[in-house]
Amino acid sequence: MKKTLKNIGKAMAFAGILAACNPLQLDEIQDPNNPSVGSVSNNASREQIQFLITGLESRHRGYVTNLSQAWNTFGREVWYLNASDPRFQTDWLGQNGRVPDRSYFGFGNTGGGSWASPYQAIKQAEVLIEAGANTNNIPESSKNAVVGFAKTIQGYQFMIPANFVYDNGIRIDVADPLNPGPFVPYAQALDAIKGILDEGEQALSSAGSGSFPFSLTRGFDGFKTIQGLRQVNRAITARLNAYRKDWQGVLTALDGSFMDLNGDLNTGPAHPYGAAPDIFNPLYYVPNAAINTIIVVHPSVLDDATPGDLRVATKFLERTTPVTVTTDAGALVGTHQDARWASNTTSIPFIKNEELILLKAEAHANLNQFTEAIEAIDIIRNAAGLDDYSGPATQDALIDEILYQRRYSLWAEPWGHRWIDARRYNKLDEIPTSYDGGTIFTQFPHPQAELSWDQYTGGN
Amino acid sequence: MNRFYKPLLTLAFFWLSVGWAWAQYSVTGTVSDDRTGEPLIGASILLKGTTTGTVTDLDGNFSLSVPNNEDATIVVSSIGFLSQEFSISPNLGKLNIRLKQDATNLEEVVVTGLASSVKRSNLANAVSTVSSKDLTGTTTIQTTDGALYGKVAGATIRSNGGAPGGGMSIQLRGISSLSGASQPLIIVDGVYISNATQRTGRATVSGAGGSNQDDGANRLADLNPADIENIEVLKGPSAAAIYGTRANAGVIIITTKRGSAGRTTVSLSQDIGFAEPLRLLGVDDWSEEKINFFYPEARRPVELERFRAAQASGNFVNYEDFFYNNKALLLNSRINVTGGDEKTKFFVSGNISNEDGTVRNTGFERYSVRANIDHKINNSIKLGVSSNYIQSSTDRGFTGNQNNTGASIGYSIAYVPNYFDLRRNTDGTYPVNPYFSENPVAVTDNATNNSEVNRFIQAFTLDVDLLKTNNSFLKASLAGGLDFLQNRTLVYLPEFLQFQRAQANPGDILKGKQESFNTNFQAALVYNWNLGKVNMNSQAGLVRLDFKENALFNRGRGLVPGQTNLRQAAIQEINQEFTQEVQEAGIFLQQEANLEDKLIGTVGIRWDKSTLNGDPNQFYAFPRASMAVNLTNFDFWSSSFINQLKPRIAYGETAGPVGFGATFTPLGGTNIGGLLGSVVSTQIGNTQIRPETATELEFGVDAGFFNNRLSLEATYYIKNTQNNIQNLNLSPSTGVNTTPSNEAELQNKGIELGISGTIIEKTNLRWFSRVLFWKNEIEMKRLGIPTYISGAFGAGLGTFLYAEGYSPTTIVGTPANADNPGGFTIWGNSQPDFNMSFYNTLSILKGLELSFLIDWRQGGDNINLTSFLTDGGGTTNGWFDDDNGDGIPNGRQREPAPHNNAGRWVQDATFVKVREIGLYYTIPRATISEWFGNSVQNIRVGGSVNNAFLFTNYEGYDPETSTFGAQAVANNVDIAPYPTPRRVFFHLTIDF
Repeated sequence: MKKTLKNIGKAMAFAGILAACNPLQLDEIQDPNNPSVGSVSNNASREQIQFLITGLESRHRGYVTNLSQAWNTFGREVWYLNASDPRFQTDWLGQNGRVPDRSYFGFGNTGGGSWASPYQAIKQAEVLIEAGANTNNIPESSKNAVVGFAKTIQGYQFMIPANFVYDNGIRIDVADPLNPGPFVPYAQALDAIKGILDEGEQALSSAGSGSFPFSLTRGFDGFKTIQGLRQVNRAITARLNAYRKDWQGVLTALDGSFMDLNGDLNTGPAHPYGAAPDIFNPLYYVPNAAINTIIVVHPSVLDDATPGDLRVATKFLERTTPVTVTTDAGALVGTHQDARWASNTTSIPFIKNEELILLKAEAHANLNQFTEAIEAIDIIRNAAGLDDYSGPATQDALIDEILYQRRYSLWAEPWGHRWIDARRYNKLDEIPTSYDGGTIFTQFPHPQAELSWDQYTGGN
Repeated sequence: MNRFYKPLLTLAFFWLSVGWAWAQYSVTGTVSDDRTGEPLIGASILLKGTTTGTVTDLDGNFSLSVPNNEDATIVVSSIGFLSQEFSISPNLGKLNIRLKQDATNLEEVVVTGLASSVKRSNLANAVSTVSSKDLTGTTTIQTTDGALYGKVAGATIRSNGGAPGGGMSIQLRGISSLSGASQPLIIVDGVYISNATQRTGRATVSGAGGSNQDDGANRLADLNPADIENIEVLKGPSAAAIYGTRANAGVIIITTKRGSAGRTTVSLSQDIGFAEPLRLLGVDDWSEEKINFFYPEARRPVELERFRAAQASGNFVNYEDFFYNNKALLLNSRINVTGGDEKTKFFVSGNISNEDGTVRNTGFERYSVRANIDHKINNSIKLGVSSNYIQSSTDRGFTGNQNNTGASIGYSIAYVPNYFDLRRNTDGTYPVNPYFSENPVAVTDNATNNSEVNRFIQAFTLDVDLLKTNNSFLKASLAGGLDFLQNRTLVYLPEFLQFQRAQANPGDILKGKQESFNTNFQAALVYNWNLGKVNMNSQAGLVRLDFKENALFNRGRGLVPGQTNLRQAAIQEINQEFTQEVQEAGIFLQQEANLEDKLIGTVGIRWDKSTLNGDPNQFYAFPRASMAVNLTNFDFWSSSFINQLKPRIAYGETAGPVGFGATFTPLGGTNIGGLLGSVVSTQIGNTQIRPETATELEFGVDAGFFNNRLSLEATYYIKNTQNNIQNLNLSPSTGVNTTPSNEAELQNKGIELGISGTIIEKTNLRWFSRVLFWKNEIEMKRLGIPTYISGAFGAGLGTFLYAEGYSPTTIVGTPANADNPGGFTIWGNSQPDFNMSFYNTLSILKGLELSFLIDWRQGGDNINLTSFLTDGGGTTNGWFDDDNGDGIPNGRQREPAPHNNAGRWVQDATFVKVREIGLYYTIPRATISEWFGNSVQNIRVGGSVNNAFLFTNYEGYDPETSTFGAQAVANNVDIAPYPTPRRVFFHLTIDF
């Protein structure tokens, strides 16, 4: 009896010890690795806005690798030779009859660098705009500057998915992640982008003058003022207007841009790169490196070059040992590599004076203002060490000349100019396939994930 | 209260009254093995219905005092033997007891709850138990999971490759989770240990991709298999429900060896052996004709020149042979010291494994020390501690996937023709490999891929008898422990390598330090009592789990020659820092009832909560119920032919934890142009996320025939999982890609059959045989989100289909086919049709024992991308043959037409493997005494082979391979793996 009580006592003591520690109590565990998106949505500090702006610059360069490698392959400006994965050759060149599907190699279910990445930049800009709107920690002019910068980048980024799927159209209304808007046709999408760029320009014009009130990277050197960013906005608008075939609009936009007929052709904003914790320039390869993964100059670009063209000498390096890659579809040999980048920390421009002058030429040619067109063409030709244009002053001939000059002036820029240019002038069949037995793609279908989302919501 | 108190009081009275009786007598006797006549040491003799008992000494003798003068019954039992009952009386002479071997393990005690166990003959679930003899008795295997092959019905065990130091996947009863690897929970002596496959960084440096392509080892590899007494495998929710949130994929309960009272035994074991590749495929020869076909015109002259030079000198190199076909030395030394007295028992072990790999400069070293100590503080308090410190160092070399860097042997040599010599020049430099970006000889000689683990696992148990009577007891049981794991990894490619020289910053080093600290604690009250003829076991308790983890990886590029300190790098980078913390708590109740071993029922419930869940304070309930009926124990049973027949049924529910971070919507850090930025994550957190749950109904029958010489175990199960977590792919146009969802439902159905028996039982020959057969079928019953494809390397090379009505193991790929869900052609399925294993052990004469284990997997497809690579490089054996005579060589025309689709690489991975063969001889006692007198107790010598033979039509080194490591689904992709070794040993064990 006594013992029983003692035992019951023991059991109670045991229970008491347990209760004191309360092993059932859990601590609240916050994300130990990152701040939350929610932390910037209400009354963000100036520093938080700054982090979002820099984050936007980072998202803004997310497309560079994919477009440089893939779109420039589609337009046969380059071959992306990759011995480690034959599909960079077989699939991207459309060998053995391959055509893009919704989950194509290099793009996956989300469209990767050609779709998901630009939309991530657009989302980042959206979060930045909201953070700016919902804070009392920055003045009104700064809020306008934030909106202006964000929308300028959005305008640029929207063009990427639009050109990727072309006739299939893109979503423009993407602010609500669980309720995206419908796909709108290419032309309508471009008009909407025009609206976004104009809003950006408008906001910048209400942002006062002088320096942009937040820090930008060295990629924006020369454009870190409100005025400078307006010029960038207008330059992007000029490119867009050319896609919209609004030729007068091109000229108007160019007027507000940083175009300088007598200036350095390479002037323009860029994506900066650097050593860790930054990332290296993804297009840089050590000259003559004994490797078999490298972007090489497409042989047609070499074959079609005009003798004495300085752009050939400065942009292409003939390798001491060609790069050969064999796949199940045969072998490709690259003789020249990209020589544009001095080092792996060199910035990559995303729009430059040379393109603006070519846009001027193109707009004038389309407006039948041949004299002005030829003047602009000759600026480009002379800079490349070529004589003045001596061909016929007809629209067709001038367009051909401009497209030819664009092949060399804008060669392998992270935009796929040749592919887009050939498509907008119905000249895709002029892109040669004889070197690789491939196919020239017109456009991509919507990525599988878009289709799946519409299935999931049963809509659109 | 009164109802409870009264019986207690009565019981207490009985208990106290026992001490008043002084009359007594004693029984003596010997216990021996019925077959061999050898004395049984440590056999237990228990006075039935009491707690009075004793054990036999070294010669099998015992003496038991009976505390009164009445007739009684004793129960004689010994591990591995069928227990027997004998009537005793005061005038009985010396007993000569011969026990029969328990061939069918009816006596085995199986853990069924967090604080209870039951003997196998009363078990209502198909719990597999693997004894130490089954596990390591035939041969020496590096890792515990590797030693489980073919020994557990329902377990799909896959080796990810042949690299030394482990790397395995265990899936019990199919796939329980679509995220993660669907691996079982592993508990060692009550400690929830980490079996993580940790990052090594190899895939980062080699460019292969994510850490799942590191070919890292899962950390069960740290445990020395020789320390294990037995492993119990709870295969599904019906058996594992009481483990709650982490038991969806089953639970593996490992119990290590413990000391026993008596003479101190020192046991020394030494293995010495070698490893060689189990299978090589050969490489294709070249001819001028082939060169002219293969290379473009511009390249032909130089290739022909190289070929002719090789022909002239006869210098052709078979690279497969050069890299893989090396004899590797295997050394294992073990020492065990066990003993103790009534109060304190101990088991102390030390182990050194030093095994080279068949690829040069690879290998696995493991140093392990263990001390398991049991101590009775007094008659009612027992303390047990188990301490294990392990240090291991693993060099796994460079195989598998890579991108651009050439840091993979198999990947590089796929492209190198045998007429080009990559081997080191006499001046110590290496030829530049003109066929790929790297010289793999230089990588093998000079690069490092090392993982060094320091680990400490500590378990404790404290059992307090609060109340003990003749037929009831109340016990408090505290248990818990900790697992501290530190893994330092180093991947180093020196600056003079070909690919490094081609970089702006030559030389690459990635150093990681990962630490995890897991603790768990459990408290339970167990009350065993009788309700009429029904023995009741009631348990209540609580469980607490804490997991903390941190990983820090630093990378240096542009290295000072020969230097591996990060400060000697031009580019210094924090490659990764990641911290995670998880807390979980649970409560459980369990009630077991046993009517005279005739009807055995169990009901139980567990409630769990976890900080991983959307609501960390929500308790989720996991009930269970089971019933077993031992028909042969009923009085009406009279068959002498069937001596055990037990239908059983069990139901249970469990859950799988939510992944860490599923509730967060983070702003990631980024650096650009010298500024720090915040980027919006592409994942939206789901603050409603719940654990994925599973329900399982299992039923079957256990039967014993011919006095249990033959036994049959048959089980059918239906396991349904709900709320399966998978990423809902959002419209990527919105700038976010995924959010975790709880939508999918999977069903696994299958059967497990086991037949075992002693085919021959003679004095000079005993032949025991066991056949296991199991089969599982999976179906996605509900997806809840749109059909999608995922895993492996995309549709062009074969990927997996997640669609309702299909198994997620379905392999699909190009060409696109709009008629199928997911839009691609269906090419195969990675799920095997069935598995079967045959185990045989023959005891011949006195002391000779031969065992072997054969493992058969029928069906299941692999995605063989090694063939894809070697076809691209023209080196596949037979590449230039032309089977259909159309002028296009086989290597450019793999079936099916039109020879550009994913189906080319999907191959049947059926195999039969002779996993283990062992032949041992135990030198007779008499001979030992003659040689050594009494100083040596036992000597055993033998030889064995692990992975002796492989029979398969699969065109790879091993149909078991996974370049992505342990995965729920994509665990069958073959990319230039480390070839599986065959391991041949000589063994010697001496007991002092």
